[in-house]
Amino acid sequence: MAPLWLSMELAVTVAALLLVIGVPVAYWLAFSGWRFKFLLEAVVALPLVLPPTVLGFYALVAMGPHGPLGKLWQAAFGHGLAFTFAGLVLASIFYSFPFAVQPLMGSFEAVDRRLLNASAVLGASPWRTFCSVILPLSLPGVVTAAVLCFAHTLGEFGAVLMVGGNLPGITRTASIAIYDRVQALEYGEANRMALVLLVISFSVLSLVYAVNRRARRSLWTPWAAK
Amino acid sequence: MGREIGAPLQVRVRKARQGANGQPFVLEVALEIPPGITILFGPSGAGKSTLLDCIAGLVRPETGSVRVGQETWFDSSAAIDIPVHQRQIGYVFQTLALFPHLTVEENIGYGITRLAAREQKQRIEEILNAFKIGGLRTRKPGEISGGEAQRVELARALVTEPRVLLLDEPMTGLDEELKAHIIEDLRAWRTARQIPILYVTHSRIEAQALGDHAITMRAGIAVPE
Repeated sequence: MAPLWLSMELAVTVAALLLVIGVPVAYWLAFSGWRFKFLLEAVVALPLVLPPTVLGFYALVAMGPHGPLGKLWQAAFGHGLAFTFAGLVLASIFYSFPFAVQPLMGSFEAVDRRLLNASAVLGASPWRTFCSVILPLSLPGVVTAAVLCFAHTLGEFGAVLMVGGNLPGITRTASIAIYDRVQALEYGEANRMALVLLVISFSVLSLVYAVNRRARRSLWTPWAAK
Repeated sequence: MGREIGAPLQVRVRKARQGANGQPFVLEVALEIPPGITILFGPSGAGKSTLLDCIAGLVRPETGSVRVGQETWFDSSAAIDIPVHQRQIGYVFQTLALFPHLTVEENIGYGITRLAAREQKQRIEEILNAFKIGGLRTRKPGEISGGEAQRVELARALVTEPRVLLLDEPMTGLDEELKAHIIEDLRAWRTARQIPILYVTHSRIEAQALGDHAITMRAGIAVPE
């Protein structure tokens, strides 16, 4: 079960970090009037269409001893970044970035602009408007982003394999362990881990839909103009 | 900056935009709004809401200035544009904009969080009683009627003690009895606080009951009556 715990640890870490990084990026994308914003939107969405091995390959090159990230990491911590847990986290952040930014951006954009104007005329700074109006009304998007990042990272295979290899206890995640067991013709063990991943994925997605449904109901105002 | 009692609102702005029918539309006004209630008449699309948005800072005019007494909120020639949240404005929008996740009491208190807790509480109590909405304090906007929401919105704007009050058809959807009650409250409020109030309405009854002055807008031009 060690690979499962490693996957869980990776998924929780990545989901937490992606919320911290994703919120300001999504806010900027939602409200910036910059005319070339679409370029950044395309960069954010890139991991959705890029084969994980391609992303993993570039991440591996960047994290290698001659890559910029690898050199920086070596200078700061005295060891390389590739084939470490930190390397997995970094690659997973790139890989799951759109799963954080897109739901957040969608929720921020969906907040009624009249409420933002109302907040401003009532004397609230943009920061207070964000904390008191945008964020609470975007809670379903925040939950969706966190859960999707968690679930997506949990099932990650290609990028993780490229950057982390298959080191037991360090980089052997559940999906890699399943592949490993299948290669060794140990279908029983593979099935057990696959079933756990299936149940976790189903449960977290059910949670997302339940939370979103409940939030929509609680915020509905029958008299509001559409 | 100190608060000037009885300071007029001076607006001289030009703003071009796309009209509702897709035709270009130019708002070009030069007005001095004295303390008291100034009624703003005009057909739909005449630029009334755009004018109010320019004063509030929600829309940036191409040229011109907006001043309250000695204080400049906007001046294109001097590159002055005070952010909306620093203008101390009360604004009731044409379409309601109550925060759906906050209770009625929290909505009303939203604009006065800088005050000491005791004063906040006192002001909220006063306005809840004046507008007869004390019974709604713990409800959320989704649990009250449109007329009640209208009263809450008005109360939320007045409780902040703004320097300028902009009311864009604030009594739409209210019954006659309630309108009469609120008109009385607004009259008393106007007398107690000498600030410029711009009041957009199509109702001659409201205008006669409240208006100290009147302006009619046609195709982006303002004509004092």
